[in-house]
Amino acid sequence: MGTAALRASGVRKSFGTVHVLGGIDVTVVPGETYALLGPSGCGKSTLLRIMAGFAEADAGTVEIDGKPVSGPSPQRGMVAQAGGLFPWLSLRDNLAFGPRETGRLSGSAIDAEVTELMVRTGLDGFGDALPRTLSGGMRQRAAIAQVLANRPPVLLLDEPFGALDAQTRLRMHEWLRELLAEQPTTTMLVTHDVDEALLLGDRLGLMSARPAKVVEETVIPFGADRGRHTLADPEFVALKSRVLERVLTG
Amino acid sequence: MVVPLALLGVWFAVSAGGAISISILPPPQRVATAAWEFFFGDSRVTLPGVVPFVGSGGLHIGASVVRCLVSFALAIVVGVIVGLGLGLSRWVSDLLDPLVNALRAVPLYAWLPIALVWFGIGETAARVLIFIGALWPVLIATADGVGRVPRGHIETARMLGTPGRRLWRRVYLPSALPEIVTGLRLSLTLAWMCVIVGELTGTTTGVGAMMNAARESGRIDQIVVGMLVFAVIGLIADLLLRMIARPFIRWSQT
Repeated sequence: MGTAALRASGVRKSFGTVHVLGGIDVTVVPGETYALLGPSGCGKSTLLRIMAGFAEADAGTVEIDGKPVSGPSPQRGMVAQAGGLFPWLSLRDNLAFGPRETGRLSGSAIDAEVTELMVRTGLDGFGDALPRTLSGGMRQRAAIAQVLANRPPVLLLDEPFGALDAQTRLRMHEWLRELLAEQPTTTMLVTHDVDEALLLGDRLGLMSARPAKVVEETVIPFGADRGRHTLADPEFVALKSRVLERVLTG
Repeated sequence: MVVPLALLGVWFAVSAGGAISISILPPPQRVATAAWEFFFGDSRVTLPGVVPFVGSGGLHIGASVVRCLVSFALAIVVGVIVGLGLGLSRWVSDLLDPLVNALRAVPLYAWLPIALVWFGIGETAARVLIFIGALWPVLIATADGVGRVPRGHIETARMLGTPGRRLWRRVYLPSALPEIVTGLRLSLTLAWMCVIVGELTGTTTGVGAMMNAARESGRIDQIVVGMLVFAVIGLIADLLLRMIARPFIRWSQT
């Protein structure tokens, strides 16, 4: 449990002759939510997969609290756009999967924690439901809850709400902010949605086109009380406009 | 039910019209009488090696079902284990895939002579033939199902703490279960169909043995009874298998 520092240094990755990552340097301090924004196809997901341990960098390192990442681990929970729920398990069993596999908790403690997690994520009453019977928003909440059940120090989110409609996505942003406030977790959020980055992030990193680098970092100046009302804040609108311009001009 | 009833009507009409000889296709009422005798007639003591017909329905069906289930169970165990190996391991696939594909192309009747030579006339040869017939669908379905498990499921499990050695149980098997069940249904149907081939090896009990004895004595009505028994039990077996499997694969059904 707790949070951890996430650091990527000089991460490079190519697929054949396509140079995707051209030396990524980024540091996320413990408990911070770092939003990484970049144009489509610039390698954001590739970077996140390297951080999760699902792929290897050609050069450079990824470290958690100074220890190099090698392979996937319950210490780094990753949620992608399609979610990671196992379709054959009920919601309750999906949420209990991690604690059971790691042996972090005993049987009754797992039940108690999963019940509490379902309440916190607004999924109580759906414990016996199969993932396919849930709405898109509920599935993504459940996918994040499934990962958080392991209490990972680092959370990696790869456009987790990309498949949802605009209203649901906004509700998910507010929900995730509250959840991360209750369970502080070092979070790397990869997105191409500027609103999402500005509503969820403490800091914003902008990636260039391929071969990608982090070309600019900005502290997001809005407080913890962010939500739909923030969208109309002149400061938010100005920052969004500037960020959008920067992304579009590469 | 419309089509079977229509066929029954055609059968009645053709038999009553005398268009087809009774020795080629007996009328439905004669088959019904034979079926009654098969199940409820006075059983009589028969000579050793002679396959009885009257009053022996339960005996024959029981023998065939047990023979089928034993071989089917063995085919499930071997098929799922080898299928998992083929689907999970490149090394096992390189080693066994050509052999599996060659062997499953051999028709069951081609195994009959060699089964008789290797295992002799009777029970073992019958069970081996049923096992061979039932093996391939479940084996291929398991290998295919396991090969199609989405990479995302495997990555999620690894990320949540499942070690590599437990992935087959936690992810591969449950994810491939719908395909495996489809293979099991096909295997069960084939196992049941192979019972008749297996019982051609000289067993003295079983519906196939009864039908073979009926053929030798020219009793078409008894052969038709055997065919109907195969059809009805095959249907019931498939329904039962689907019922048993449903709770495990309901997640994949729309």
